[in-house]
Amino acid sequence: MLCQNCGKREATTHIKRVVNGETSESHLCAECAASLGYADVFSGFGMSFGDLLGGFLSDTAAPQTQIASGNRCGKCGSSWNDIVRAGKVGCADCYRTFYDRLVPTLQRIHGRIRHTGKTSGSAGTHAPVREKTEEELREEKIEMLKKKMSEAVAEQDFETAAKLRDEIRALEA
Amino acid sequence: MNKWYIEKGDQGDVVLSTRIRLARNLEAYPFPGRLDVQSKKKVCAEIRDAALSDGSNTFRWIDMASLTPSQAVSLAERHLISPEFTTDREGRALLLTEDESVSIMLCEEDHIRLQVMQAGLALERAYDIADKIDTMLDQRLQYAFDERIGYLTQCPTNLGTAMRASVMLHLPALDATGRISSLAATVSKLGLVIRGAYGEGSSARGSIYQISNQITLGITEQAAIDNLRAITLQIVSQERAAQEQLLKSEAEIDKIWRARGVLSSARLLSADEFMTLVSLVRMGAARQIFNLSLEKLNELIVRMQPATINAASGQNLPPAKRDAIRAEAVRTALLTQGDDTQ
Repeated sequence: MLCQNCGKREATTHIKRVVNGETSESHLCAECAASLGYADVFSGFGMSFGDLLGGFLSDTAAPQTQIASGNRCGKCGSSWNDIVRAGKVGCADCYRTFYDRLVPTLQRIHGRIRHTGKTSGSAGTHAPVREKTEEELREEKIEMLKKKMSEAVAEQDFETAAKLRDEIRALEA
Repeated sequence: MNKWYIEKGDQGDVVLSTRIRLARNLEAYPFPGRLDVQSKKKVCAEIRDAALSDGSNTFRWIDMASLTPSQAVSLAERHLISPEFTTDREGRALLLTEDESVSIMLCEEDHIRLQVMQAGLALERAYDIADKIDTMLDQRLQYAFDERIGYLTQCPTNLGTAMRASVMLHLPALDATGRISSLAATVSKLGLVIRGAYGEGSSARGSIYQISNQITLGITEQAAIDNLRAITLQIVSQERAAQEQLLKSEAEIDKIWRARGVLSSARLLSADEFMTLVSLVRMGAARQIFNLSLEKLNELIVRMQPATINAASGQNLPPAKRDAIRAEAVRTALLTQGDDTQ
């Protein structure tokens, strides 16, 4: 197969990308791969960083994570497993949703877990955080109850789970 | 207006340039990895409007999808964008100042990758410029930020300050004496990382290396910059000492003159050969074996990269043609710089 970029040399580098669930493949010769930034993706740069991070994260995916893996970020829908697999976080809310599980990873990467340095909005003229609408508050409440329910199920506390389920149904109605 | 890379810089014999990069995201949108092209375009437009609403910086707006592959790779060769940014260009855009010292990649790994380049060692100045633009954008956009873990980024390795400070160094003598790998081991213990600036791995083309901070959480911008500057200055003095030592040898001096000879008369120059030779010539100029302007050589290194030659010619040239154009441009550049000390 010839390189898809220059169309001249034999393709030796095969790149598979998955973006938003869509898979695309490209076949490049060594020279084009290098000039397009795919040279030696295993040397601790670019893509391999995600793999490395996935490794970091999956170490912390202890048994209890398996049980709770149904939990998803309320905003972007990422599960903890999605984050571990991609080595990337889905959105800002993921950090809040999975904060406790991320802390050991952050400790390992940075050695510290508390930000010092510039803060957003420090200029003082930052637009005020807009208040949440009733709809958003309701959705947040449902999300929280669902989380509690799956925890209750995991602990085989079916009585609590049933109560929570009724509450959720009432809110969703 | 002069491009930033033809300015004379502090510690310019060893330090080619300084770069500060800040990663920022908008609270309202998932990170780019979870956005489709349409949403990416929306994010780009929102940031563009914020950036352009402030009159103090005049940015040129470049829709990445509108560029030819050569034009895109040329931007990466000039270190204005990341190599990754050249691959999947749909829904991505770049804001660039006229002197190319400030570039803002939109929807790269993060919504905003703000980058400031300066000639020589100029960490404070570069940070100051980046900080001002960042504050301006912060006033107009809602950043994703958490008091505990700082600026929120797609990759947790950038959390905290989300600042990567780096300097590009020309280390031909440390390279020639096989000391780069031990240097790499040492700086990694100090929270820094060193890698080849052109091409990956230990055998960097032209002995040009980039050294940057690795830790971003729990360290202030100031502390990270101070650390990088202190270590850079040590490497600079080691490199200078190694160059002095190396150039005590007649054979090494001969190599440098021969390299200059080839560059001044060759009719075909491949990118690899050019980088090897220009590295020797640059060392000769740095140690004043002859009078050549380092800034001109820096500019030449940038201008002679393959895609940049293609982009300047406006067509996709075959390598042989490119090698001829490169050889001619290098000859002209060396000839117009007379004034030899010998």
